[in-house]
Amino acid sequence: MKYFRLIWKNVFRKKTRTVLTTGSIVLVLVLIVVLVSLLNAMEADPSGGRGANRLVVQHATGLASFLPLSQRQRIEQIPGVVAVSPEIWFGGVYKDDRPENFFGQLSADPENFFDKIFDDATIDPAVNAEWKATRNGFVAGENLVKKFGWKKGDHIQLRGTYIPVTLDLVYIGKYNAGDESNVFFQNEYLNQSKWFGANRVTGIYYMKVASTQDLPRVAAAIDGMFENSDAPTKTMTEKQFQAQFMEMMGNIKGLIRWISLVILFAVTLIVANTVAMSARERVTEISVMRVLGFRRTHVLSFILSESVLMSLLGGIVGVVLAKFVIIPGMVKGMQTTPMAPFLINFRVTWQVLLAAFGISVGVGVLAGFVPAIRSSQVRIVDGLRQVV
Amino acid sequence: MAIPLKYNFRNLMVRKVSTGMTVFVISLVVTVFLFVLSLWSGVTRTLSTNASDRNVVTMRVGAQAEMQSVVTRDSADLIRSLPGIERDARGQPLVSPELLTLVNIPKTDGKNTNVQVRGTSPAGMALRPSIRIVEGQMFRPGTNEAIVSKVLPSRVAGVSIGDTLKSGSYRWKIVGYFDASGSAYDSEIWTDVADLQAQSKRPIYSIVYVRTTDAESARRYIEAVKGDQRLKLEGKTEKKYFEEQMVTGAPIKILAILVGVFTAIGASFGAMNTMYAQVAARIREIGTLRAIGFSRRSVLLSFVLEALLLCLIGGILGTALAFVLFNVIITKPTGTMNFRTFSEILFNFRLTPPLIAGGLAFSLAMGLVGGFFPAARAARLKITTALREI
Repeated sequence: MKYFRLIWKNVFRKKTRTVLTTGSIVLVLVLIVVLVSLLNAMEADPSGGRGANRLVVQHATGLASFLPLSQRQRIEQIPGVVAVSPEIWFGGVYKDDRPENFFGQLSADPENFFDKIFDDATIDPAVNAEWKATRNGFVAGENLVKKFGWKKGDHIQLRGTYIPVTLDLVYIGKYNAGDESNVFFQNEYLNQSKWFGANRVTGIYYMKVASTQDLPRVAAAIDGMFENSDAPTKTMTEKQFQAQFMEMMGNIKGLIRWISLVILFAVTLIVANTVAMSARERVTEISVMRVLGFRRTHVLSFILSESVLMSLLGGIVGVVLAKFVIIPGMVKGMQTTPMAPFLINFRVTWQVLLAAFGISVGVGVLAGFVPAIRSSQVRIVDGLRQVV
Repeated sequence: MAIPLKYNFRNLMVRKVSTGMTVFVISLVVTVFLFVLSLWSGVTRTLSTNASDRNVVTMRVGAQAEMQSVVTRDSADLIRSLPGIERDARGQPLVSPELLTLVNIPKTDGKNTNVQVRGTSPAGMALRPSIRIVEGQMFRPGTNEAIVSKVLPSRVAGVSIGDTLKSGSYRWKIVGYFDASGSAYDSEIWTDVADLQAQSKRPIYSIVYVRTTDAESARRYIEAVKGDQRLKLEGKTEKKYFEEQMVTGAPIKILAILVGVFTAIGASFGAMNTMYAQVAARIREIGTLRAIGFSRRSVLLSFVLEALLLCLIGGILGTALAFVLFNVIITKPTGTMNFRTFSEILFNFRLTPPLIAGGLAFSLAMGLVGGFFPAARAARLKITTALREI
């Protein structure tokens, strides 16, 4: 520690160089924080991990096929089933066709939806009660409400895409959960409108079972019950249900991981190059220090510390900038782009920031190693003789 | 007078390690950029390949994708008598009512994906002349046979000729492969429309696909559909329809820009560092150059060119890396979800000339940014002080 001043001075000996190097660390860190947070937002667990004993029943052939509502009663009779809510993915158009106005629109059974099934979401009991009583009411995730600035009593129109009706819904209140990108409205309201499936079919059954141990048994019982019927089912845990969308996005996750690794490698090279350059320019100076009695290990630790210090600075600046300046600005700037639907659940968690900071230290160590060893191995006579 | 380029080239060669590292960084950044960009261009290319403006998709007003639309049998019959439709040799209008659905089936890696199934007819085949059977035979009506795109078996399990595809209560026997030359149809399974109606118990169509004689008659037909109050349908040329599907690739494009901008600035900082070091190490040389008569402008130009050269080498290397990546490492088609249909679109990574040009321009931009400030410093040096430098 007593050499800290020396290291600090050396880091800032060439200010432009240090600023540029830290700058590239900052940029890369911000990018990685953005990418990872985006990935987290895309696969936001609707329950934040708490609703482990929920199941989703869909048609065995996939989401394009409807399930008859007559199945509900039979599912409810299976022991272990707590509550069942039929849901329809409305997929309507809000305002205009632009992708940034896209969000999840689901019908549900208000009687049990927040009370018994989606019970890890937080909703004001008064809001819930009012939603139950308002046939054309809707509730929405807080992030979504903020995005569109909905206020109590506001009307929104959703123009159906595959269901040929336009819904006129009135905003009741918000809910909070891991996934706050959806709007929920009453099945009853959709059923009142004249469409081919009214009171006849549903998209999925969203349901809760008593305990996690019941999941496989209940799922098997449902699928077995309808196996040879007109509408065979496929029952999944909520997590599996969500995962199928991620899987369809192709290998986005792997892709982002690879991109992150490659750019981290690139920035390590940039830092290594800088450290090596500054060490090379100081060969004579280092030799003089060795003559004065500093050991090889001293030289090694000086150079390595310089590299780590530079990365640390980059890490701190990067994390702070990412959290408070760049990312909020970017999220705001992208509200009107097709990226917007992915940003509804976008949060920069402290875990991600901490990991990014850790990574920056790692970059410093990796980048400093080779130049540090090389400088410490230079023989004093050679170093003194060298003219740069 | 300009300083010979050879001077810059040799200088880069003298500091092999430093130059090499910078070149390598630039090449990595270019590769990543090309990779993300080619994802986007792959989706876009798939959706624009062979899309015709003579073929018109007739679907329900408000539907964003074929699969969301519903056309009744009565409407489908009415459409046959509308103006603008081309007729075949026997005088029959070239019309193909089609039904679409999704099946959720396992991929070759065991995970599930949604594949679009199109119930069509020989007319549907005739309307899309770029699609042909390359192996096996056409499905026969009434037999629940199906044909699949020839690239599908590399991505989806159990869809090779001879297999029976099962999903829920659906059963199809795969009898042939078709080649849709990289268009969106290359992600689909095709079967007879009446068979699909029977299996899905939906006695309706999703869309009616018609061929018109030319762009003008396509307009006439679209007007006629719009004007017919009984139908409540709208017509879109195939080209326009697929253009609208392209919004699906838009987030990837933004991702590409995001990654591109951040890494480019980061890497140009690296290049700038290298160039500053080059200038610092060559101050006496610069003084000498000035002393023998090269102007400040020549020095500036020389150092900018050196940076451009440095980054261009990186750009070429990066493009080569991307080429190897796309042609040797990733050979199978990859897929991403079409958010409109929830089904997967398959596409190939390919290095097209515009992409290569983009990658090289990208590397030159880094060189320009990274080179200008160090070059300006070199050009500003006073001859006397520069020569005195040790």
